[in-house]
Amino acid sequence: MLARTAMGDRAAFAGLYRATSAKLFGVALRILNDRAEAEEVLQEVFVRIWHKADRYRANGLSPMTWLITVTRNLSIDRLRRLRATGVTRAGNPDEATAHMADPAPGPEAQVVAADERARIDACLDELEAARAGAVRGAYIEGLSYAELAARHEVPLNTMRTWLRRSLLKLRECLSR
Amino acid sequence: MSEGRPDREDDRIRAAEYALGLLDEAEARAFEARLRDDPDLRAEYAAWAEHFAGLADGADVPPPAHVWQELESGLFGSTQAGPGRSRWRYWRGWGLGAALAAMLAVLLLYLGPFGTPTVPQADLVAYIEAESGDLRVLAGYDEATGQLEVSRVGGAPEPGRSFELWLIAGDAAPVSLGVLPERERGVLSVPDALGPQMAGATLAISDEPAGGSPTGQPTGAVLAAGQVITGS
Repeated sequence: MLARTAMGDRAAFAGLYRATSAKLFGVALRILNDRAEAEEVLQEVFVRIWHKADRYRANGLSPMTWLITVTRNLSIDRLRRLRATGVTRAGNPDEATAHMADPAPGPEAQVVAADERARIDACLDELEAARAGAVRGAYIEGLSYAELAARHEVPLNTMRTWLRRSLLKLRECLSR
Repeated sequence: MSEGRPDREDDRIRAAEYALGLLDEAEARAFEARLRDDPDLRAEYAAWAEHFAGLADGADVPPPAHVWQELESGLFGSTQAGPGRSRWRYWRGWGLGAALAAMLAVLLLYLGPFGTPTVPQADLVAYIEAESGDLRVLAGYDEATGQLEVSRVGGAPEPGRSFELWLIAGDAAPVSLGVLPERERGVLSVPDALGPQMAGATLAISDEPAGGSPTGQPTGAVLAAGQVITGS
Protein backbone atom coordinates (compact mmCIF):
# COMPACT_ATOMS: atom_id res chain seq x y z
CA MET A 1 0.00 0.00 0.00
CA LEU A 2 2.73 2.39 0.95
CA ALA A 3 4.52 1.76 -2.31
CA ARG A 4 1.36 2.42 -4.24
CA THR A 5 0.78 5.64 -2.40
CA ALA A 6 4.30 6.71 -3.13
CA MET A 7 3.62 6.08 -6.80
CA GLY A 8 0.83 8.63 -6.73
CA ASP A 9 3.16 11.11 -5.06
CA ARG A 10 5.69 10.63 -7.76
CA ALA A 11 3.19 11.30 -10.53
CA ALA A 12 2.20 14.58 -8.88
CA PHE A 13 5.83 15.43 -8.23
CA ALA A 14 6.81 14.81 -11.84
CA GLY A 15 3.84 16.87 -12.97
CA LEU A 16 4.88 19.73 -10.73
CA TYR A 17 8.42 19.55 -12.09
CA ARG A 18 7.15 19.66 -15.67
CA ALA A 19 4.93 22.62 -14.91
CA THR A 20 7.37 24.78 -12.95
CA SER A 21 11.01 23.78 -13.45
CA ALA A 22 11.67 26.13 -16.38
CA LYS A 23 10.38 29.11 -14.46
CA LEU A 24 12.28 28.23 -11.29
CA PHE A 25 15.48 27.47 -13.18
CA GLY A 26 15.14 30.93 -14.75
CA VAL A 27 14.87 32.47 -11.28
CA ALA A 28 17.92 30.62 -9.96
CA LEU A 29 19.91 31.52 -13.06
CA ARG A 30 18.97 35.15 -12.79
CA ILE A 31 20.25 35.30 -9.22
CA LEU A 32 23.30 33.04 -9.53
CA ASN A 33 24.31 33.76 -13.10
CA ASP A 34 25.88 30.32 -13.30
CA ARG A 35 24.29 27.27 -14.83
CA ALA A 36 25.97 24.62 -12.71
CA GLU A 37 25.10 26.43 -9.47
CA ALA A 38 21.55 27.08 -10.66
CA GLU A 39 21.10 23.39 -11.52
CA GLU A 40 22.11 22.42 -8.01
CA VAL A 41 19.76 24.95 -6.49
CA LEU A 42 16.91 23.66 -8.64
CA GLN A 43 17.51 20.15 -7.31
CA GLU A 44 17.63 21.50 -3.77
CA VAL A 45 14.33 23.29 -4.36
CA PHE A 46 12.58 20.13 -5.54
CA VAL A 47 14.00 18.02 -2.73
CA ARG A 48 12.57 20.58 -0.35
CA ILE A 49 9.20 20.56 -2.13
CA TRP A 50 9.13 16.78 -1.91
CA HIS A 51 9.58 16.92 1.84
CA LYS A 52 7.63 20.06 2.67
CA ALA A 53 4.94 20.53 0.05
CA ASP A 54 2.33 20.93 2.75
CA ARG A 55 4.02 24.06 4.03
CA TYR A 56 3.02 26.28 1.17
CA ARG A 57 -0.24 27.37 2.67
CA ALA A 58 1.29 28.20 6.01
CA ASN A 59 2.34 31.74 5.10
CA GLY A 60 -0.64 32.57 2.96
CA LEU A 61 1.42 32.47 -0.23
CA SER A 62 0.05 31.19 -3.50
CA PRO A 63 1.83 28.02 -4.68
CA MET A 64 3.76 29.80 -7.43
CA THR A 65 4.90 32.58 -5.12
CA TRP A 66 5.94 30.00 -2.54
CA LEU A 67 7.95 28.12 -5.17
CA ILE A 68 9.64 31.29 -6.43
CA THR A 69 10.34 32.39 -2.86
CA VAL A 70 11.91 29.05 -1.93
CA THR A 71 14.02 29.18 -5.10
CA ARG A 72 15.06 32.76 -4.47
CA ASN A 73 16.01 32.05 -0.86
CA LEU A 74 18.05 28.95 -1.66
CA SER A 75 19.75 30.81 -4.52
CA ILE A 76 20.62 33.70 -2.20
CA ASP A 77 21.99 31.30 0.44
CA ARG A 78 24.26 29.83 -2.19
CA LEU A 79 25.23 33.24 -3.54
CA ARG A 80 26.23 34.35 -0.05
CA ARG A 81 28.33 31.23 0.41
CA LEU A 82 30.03 31.82 -2.92
CA ARG A 83 30.64 35.42 -2.01
CA ALA A 84 32.14 34.40 1.33
CA THR A 85 34.58 32.09 -0.44
CA GLY A 86 35.61 34.88 -2.74
CA VAL A 87 33.87 33.69 -5.86
CA THR A 88 31.78 36.68 -6.85
CA ARG A 89 29.49 36.31 -9.74
CA ALA A 90 26.61 38.58 -8.90
CA GLY A 91 26.19 41.65 -10.95
CA ASN A 92 24.70 41.38 -14.33
CA PRO A 93 21.57 39.33 -13.97
CA ASP A 94 20.60 39.79 -17.61
CA GLU A 95 23.77 38.20 -18.86
CA ALA A 96 22.75 34.85 -17.48
CA THR A 97 19.74 34.55 -19.71
CA ALA A 98 20.95 36.67 -22.61
CA HIS A 99 22.98 33.91 -24.20
CA MET A 100 20.38 31.17 -23.75
CA ALA A 101 19.39 30.14 -27.23
CA ASP A 102 15.68 29.73 -26.69
CA PRO A 103 14.26 30.50 -23.31
CA ALA A 104 10.96 28.99 -24.49
CA PRO A 105 8.72 30.40 -21.82
CA GLY A 106 5.77 28.08 -21.31
CA PRO A 107 2.60 29.98 -22.06
CA GLU A 108 1.16 28.84 -18.75
CA ALA A 109 3.90 30.37 -16.70
CA GLN A 110 4.18 33.67 -18.49
CA VAL A 111 0.95 35.50 -17.99
CA VAL A 112 0.70 35.88 -14.25
CA ALA A 113 4.35 36.60 -13.77
CA ALA A 114 4.60 39.22 -16.49
CA ASP A 115 1.78 41.11 -14.88
CA GLU A 116 3.37 41.14 -11.43
CA ARG A 117 6.75 42.03 -12.87
CA ALA A 118 5.33 44.99 -14.75
CA ARG A 119 3.69 46.31 -11.60
CA ILE A 120 6.70 46.13 -9.32
CA ASP A 121 8.93 47.56 -12.06
CA ALA A 122 6.59 50.48 -12.64
CA CYS A 123 6.43 51.24 -8.92
CA LEU A 124 10.20 50.97 -8.49
CA ASP A 125 10.55 53.44 -11.34
CA GLU A 126 8.71 55.97 -9.22
CA LEU A 127 11.50 55.82 -6.64
CA GLU A 128 14.89 57.45 -7.04
CA ALA A 129 17.13 55.16 -9.06
CA ALA A 130 19.54 54.49 -6.19
CA ARG A 131 16.73 53.54 -3.85
CA ALA A 132 15.11 51.25 -6.36
CA GLY A 133 18.56 49.76 -6.85
CA ALA A 134 18.82 49.08 -3.13
CA VAL A 135 15.51 47.19 -3.08
CA ARG A 136 16.63 45.10 -6.04
CA GLY A 137 20.04 44.60 -4.45
CA ALA A 138 18.43 43.17 -1.35
CA TYR A 139 16.09 40.82 -3.18
CA ILE A 140 18.14 39.72 -6.20
CA GLU A 141 21.63 39.88 -4.72
CA GLY A 142 20.75 39.15 -1.10
CA LEU A 143 22.63 42.19 0.19
CA SER A 144 22.31 43.04 3.88
CA TYR A 145 21.77 46.55 5.25
CA ALA A 146 25.50 46.77 5.96
CA GLU A 147 26.39 45.73 2.42
CA LEU A 148 23.87 48.12 0.94
CA ALA A 149 25.25 50.95 3.08
CA ALA A 150 28.76 50.17 1.85
CA ARG A 151 27.68 50.02 -1.75
CA HIS A 152 25.82 53.30 -1.59
CA GLU A 153 28.46 54.89 0.65
CA VAL A 154 26.10 56.03 3.38
CA PRO A 155 26.07 55.28 7.12
CA LEU A 156 24.17 52.15 8.16
CA ASN A 157 21.38 54.02 9.91
CA THR A 158 20.90 56.31 6.96
CA MET A 159 20.58 53.25 4.77
CA ARG A 160 17.90 51.80 7.02
CA THR A 161 15.88 55.01 7.10
CA TRP A 162 16.26 55.39 3.36
CA LEU A 163 15.14 51.92 2.51
CA ARG A 164 12.24 51.86 4.95
CA ARG A 165 10.90 55.10 3.58
CA SER A 166 11.25 53.72 0.06
CA LEU A 167 9.36 50.56 1.07
CA LEU A 168 6.42 52.60 2.33
CA LYS A 169 6.32 54.57 -0.90
CA LEU A 170 6.57 51.37 -2.87
CA ARG A 171 3.72 49.81 -0.91
CA GLU A 172 1.58 52.84 -1.49
CA CYS A 173 2.17 52.63 -5.23
CA LEU A 174 1.56 48.88 -5.33
CA SER A 175 -1.79 49.16 -3.59
CA ARG A 176 -3.04 51.85 -5.92
CA MET B 1 -6.15 52.61 3.22
CA SER B 2 -5.24 53.12 6.84
CA GLU B 3 -2.36 55.51 6.37
CA GLY B 4 -0.62 57.18 9.24
CA ARG B 5 -1.11 54.42 11.82
CA PRO B 6 2.42 53.92 13.03
CA ASP B 7 2.00 50.31 14.20
CA ARG B 8 0.52 49.44 10.85
CA GLU B 9 3.37 51.12 9.02
CA ASP B 10 5.87 49.31 11.20
CA ASP B 11 4.28 46.01 10.29
CA ARG B 12 4.37 46.86 6.62
CA ILE B 13 8.05 47.64 6.79
CA ARG B 14 8.81 44.57 8.89
CA ALA B 15 6.97 42.33 6.45
CA ALA B 16 8.86 43.84 3.53
CA GLU B 17 12.20 43.53 5.31
CA TYR B 18 11.43 39.91 6.09
CA ALA B 19 10.51 39.24 2.46
CA LEU B 20 13.74 40.90 1.32
CA GLY B 21 15.81 38.91 3.81
CA LEU B 22 16.99 42.04 5.63
CA LEU B 23 16.11 40.94 9.16
CA ASP B 24 18.78 39.29 11.27
CA GLU B 25 18.27 35.77 12.56
CA ALA B 26 16.58 36.76 15.85
CA GLU B 27 14.34 39.36 14.22
CA ALA B 28 13.32 36.91 11.53
CA ARG B 29 12.38 34.23 14.10
CA ALA B 30 10.35 36.79 16.08
CA PHE B 31 8.57 37.87 12.92
CA GLU B 32 7.77 34.26 12.00
CA ALA B 33 6.31 33.68 15.45
CA ARG B 34 4.00 36.66 14.96
CA LEU B 35 3.07 35.48 11.45
CA ARG B 36 1.56 32.31 12.85
CA ASP B 37 -1.00 34.16 14.97
CA ASP B 38 -1.67 37.29 12.96
CA PRO B 39 -3.68 36.89 9.75
CA ASP B 40 -3.30 40.58 8.84
CA LEU B 41 0.45 40.29 9.07
CA ARG B 42 0.33 37.12 6.99
CA ALA B 43 -1.64 38.94 4.32
CA GLU B 44 0.84 41.81 4.41
CA TYR B 45 3.78 39.45 4.04
CA ALA B 46 2.05 37.50 1.27
CA ALA B 47 1.43 40.73 -0.66
CA TRP B 48 5.10 41.69 -0.46
CA ALA B 49 6.28 38.19 -1.36
CA GLU B 50 3.98 38.25 -4.36
CA HIS B 51 5.31 41.62 -5.54
CA PHE B 52 8.97 40.84 -4.97
CA ALA B 53 8.61 37.47 -6.72
CA GLY B 54 8.05 39.56 -9.85
CA LEU B 55 11.62 40.86 -9.50
CA ALA B 56 13.18 37.41 -9.66
CA ASP B 57 11.03 36.36 -12.51
CA GLY B 58 12.66 36.57 -15.90
CA ALA B 59 12.59 34.36 -18.94
CA ASP B 60 11.78 30.71 -18.34
CA VAL B 61 14.74 28.46 -19.04
CA PRO B 62 14.16 24.72 -19.37
CA PRO B 63 16.76 22.92 -17.24
CA PRO B 64 18.84 20.15 -18.84
CA ALA B 65 17.42 16.62 -18.56
CA HIS B 66 20.08 15.37 -16.16
CA VAL B 67 18.72 17.65 -13.42
CA TRP B 68 15.49 15.65 -13.29
CA GLN B 69 17.22 12.30 -13.71
CA GLU B 70 19.53 12.96 -10.77
CA LEU B 71 16.67 14.26 -8.69
CA GLU B 72 14.58 11.20 -9.40
CA SER B 73 17.31 8.73 -8.64
CA GLY B 74 18.32 10.71 -5.55
CA LEU B 75 14.83 10.76 -4.11
CA PHE B 76 13.41 7.47 -5.31
CA GLY B 77 16.40 5.24 -5.86
CA SER B 78 15.98 3.36 -9.10
CA THR B 79 13.74 4.75 -11.79
CA GLN B 80 11.85 1.67 -12.83
CA ALA B 81 8.56 2.21 -14.59
CA GLY B 82 5.37 1.81 -12.62
CA PRO B 83 2.70 -0.76 -13.40
CA GLY B 84 0.87 -0.08 -16.65
CA ARG B 85 -2.84 -0.31 -16.22
CA SER B 86 -3.96 -0.15 -12.66
CA ARG B 87 -6.89 -1.30 -10.64
CA TRP B 88 -9.22 0.83 -8.60
CA ARG B 89 -7.49 -0.17 -5.43
CA TYR B 90 -4.37 1.54 -6.54
CA TRP B 91 -6.01 4.91 -6.83
CA ARG B 92 -7.56 4.74 -3.41
CA GLY B 93 -4.06 4.68 -2.00
CA TRP B 94 -3.58 8.26 -3.13
CA GLY B 95 -3.02 10.26 0.02
CA LEU B 96 0.51 11.08 0.98
CA GLY B 97 0.88 13.09 -2.20
CA ALA B 98 -2.19 15.21 -1.55
CA ALA B 99 -0.16 18.31 -0.78
CA LEU B 100 1.85 17.96 -3.96
CA ALA B 101 -1.21 17.19 -6.02
CA ALA B 102 -3.00 20.12 -4.44
CA MET B 103 -0.22 22.49 -5.28
CA LEU B 104 -0.07 21.22 -8.81
CA ALA B 105 -3.83 21.41 -9.33
CA VAL B 106 -4.06 24.93 -7.97
CA LEU B 107 -1.08 26.05 -10.01
CA LEU B 108 -2.36 24.63 -13.23
CA LEU B 109 -5.88 25.84 -12.67
CA TYR B 110 -4.92 29.36 -11.83
CA LEU B 111 -2.05 29.81 -14.19
CA GLY B 112 -4.06 28.05 -16.82
CA PRO B 113 -2.64 25.54 -19.26
CA PHE B 114 -3.64 27.77 -22.14
CA GLY B 115 -2.28 30.95 -20.66
CA THR B 116 -5.63 31.94 -19.23
CA PRO B 117 -7.21 30.70 -16.04
CA THR B 118 -9.38 27.74 -16.91
CA VAL B 119 -11.41 27.71 -13.75
CA PRO B 120 -11.16 31.08 -12.11
CA GLN B 121 -13.26 30.42 -9.03
CA ALA B 122 -13.50 26.85 -7.88
CA ASP B 123 -14.17 25.64 -4.37
CA LEU B 124 -12.65 22.27 -5.07
CA VAL B 125 -10.13 21.27 -7.67
CA ALA B 126 -8.58 18.07 -8.97
CA TYR B 127 -5.74 17.26 -11.28
CA ILE B 128 -6.50 13.93 -12.88
CA GLU B 129 -3.39 12.52 -14.48
CA ALA B 130 -2.35 9.21 -15.96
CA GLU B 131 0.87 7.82 -14.55
CA SER B 132 2.36 8.08 -17.99
CA GLY B 133 1.28 11.71 -18.25
CA ASP B 134 -0.55 10.86 -21.50
CA LEU B 135 -3.93 11.90 -20.17
CA ARG B 136 -4.33 15.01 -18.04
CA VAL B 137 -7.57 16.62 -16.99
CA LEU B 138 -8.16 19.57 -14.69
CA ALA B 139 -11.45 19.79 -12.84
CA GLY B 140 -12.89 22.64 -10.81
CA TYR B 141 -16.06 22.23 -8.77
CA ASP B 142 -18.38 25.05 -7.75
CA GLU B 143 -20.26 23.99 -4.63
CA ALA B 144 -23.02 26.56 -5.01
CA THR B 145 -24.04 25.59 -8.53
CA GLY B 146 -22.94 21.94 -8.53
CA GLN B 147 -21.08 22.57 -11.79
CA LEU B 148 -17.89 20.70 -12.49
CA GLU B 149 -15.73 22.38 -15.11
CA VAL B 150 -13.43 19.97 -16.84
CA SER B 151 -10.52 20.82 -19.04
CA ARG B 152 -8.64 18.12 -20.87
CA VAL B 153 -5.09 19.40 -21.28
CA GLY B 154 -3.57 16.23 -22.64
CA GLY B 155 -4.75 13.01 -24.28
CA ALA B 156 -7.81 12.09 -26.33
CA PRO B 157 -10.01 8.99 -26.51
CA GLU B 158 -9.42 6.39 -29.22
CA PRO B 159 -11.84 6.64 -32.15
CA GLY B 160 -15.18 5.15 -31.18
CA ARG B 161 -14.39 5.30 -27.46
CA SER B 162 -15.28 7.77 -24.71
CA PHE B 163 -13.66 8.93 -21.49
CA GLU B 164 -15.96 8.55 -18.51
CA LEU B 165 -15.44 10.38 -15.25
CA TRP B 166 -16.04 8.60 -11.94
CA LEU B 167 -16.38 9.76 -8.38
CA ILE B 168 -14.90 7.42 -5.79
CA ALA B 169 -15.68 8.44 -2.22
CA GLY B 170 -13.88 6.35 0.37
CA ASP B 171 -14.49 2.67 -0.20
CA ALA B 172 -17.75 3.19 -2.08
CA ALA B 173 -18.11 1.88 -5.61
CA PRO B 174 -17.37 4.38 -8.38
CA VAL B 175 -20.30 6.60 -9.33
CA SER B 176 -20.42 8.01 -12.84
CA LEU B 177 -20.28 11.78 -13.23
CA GLY B 178 -20.79 11.46 -16.95
CA VAL B 179 -18.84 11.17 -20.14
CA LEU B 180 -16.18 13.81 -20.74
CA PRO B 181 -17.18 16.15 -23.54
CA GLU B 182 -15.50 15.61 -26.90
CA ARG B 183 -14.29 19.18 -26.85
CA GLU B 184 -11.34 19.88 -24.61
CA ARG B 185 -13.35 21.90 -22.18
CA GLY B 186 -16.85 21.50 -20.84
CA VAL B 187 -19.10 21.45 -17.82
CA LEU B 188 -20.66 18.46 -16.07
CA SER B 189 -23.48 18.79 -13.56
CA VAL B 190 -22.89 16.91 -10.34
CA PRO B 191 -26.15 15.58 -8.84
CA ASP B 192 -27.04 17.29 -5.54
CA ALA B 193 -26.76 14.03 -3.64
CA LEU B 194 -23.13 13.62 -4.70
CA GLY B 195 -22.03 17.20 -3.94
CA PRO B 196 -21.17 16.58 -0.29
CA GLN B 197 -19.03 13.58 -1.26
CA MET B 198 -16.76 15.57 -3.55
CA ALA B 199 -14.26 16.95 -1.03
CA GLY B 200 -11.45 14.48 -0.49
CA ALA B 201 -12.83 12.01 -3.00
CA THR B 202 -10.93 10.61 -5.95
CA LEU B 203 -11.90 11.41 -9.52
CA ALA B 204 -10.94 8.77 -12.04
CA ILE B 205 -11.25 8.40 -15.78
CA SER B 206 -11.92 5.11 -17.55
CA ASP B 207 -11.89 4.08 -21.18
CA GLU B 208 -15.45 3.18 -22.25
CA PRO B 209 -17.47 2.47 -25.38
CA ALA B 210 -18.74 5.61 -27.13
CA GLY B 211 -21.36 7.27 -24.96
CA GLY B 212 -20.19 5.69 -21.73
CA SER B 213 -20.33 2.48 -19.77
CA PRO B 214 -23.40 0.40 -20.55
CA THR B 215 -23.43 -1.15 -17.07
CA GLY B 216 -23.21 1.85 -14.76
CA GLN B 217 -19.83 0.63 -13.58
CA PRO B 218 -16.49 1.09 -15.30
CA THR B 219 -15.94 -1.59 -17.91
CA GLY B 220 -12.65 -0.46 -19.47
CA ALA B 221 -9.23 0.35 -18.13
CA VAL B 222 -8.78 3.03 -15.51
CA LEU B 223 -6.55 5.51 -17.22
CA ALA B 224 -6.08 8.35 -14.77
CA ALA B 225 -7.01 9.53 -11.31
CA GLY B 226 -6.54 12.44 -8.96
CA GLN B 227 -7.71 13.63 -5.60
CA VAL B 228 -10.26 16.39 -5.06
CA ILE B 229 -8.78 19.06 -2.86
CA THR B 230 -9.70 22.55 -1.71
CA GLY B 231 -9.02 25.31 -4.22
CA SER B 232 -7.30 28.36 -2.84
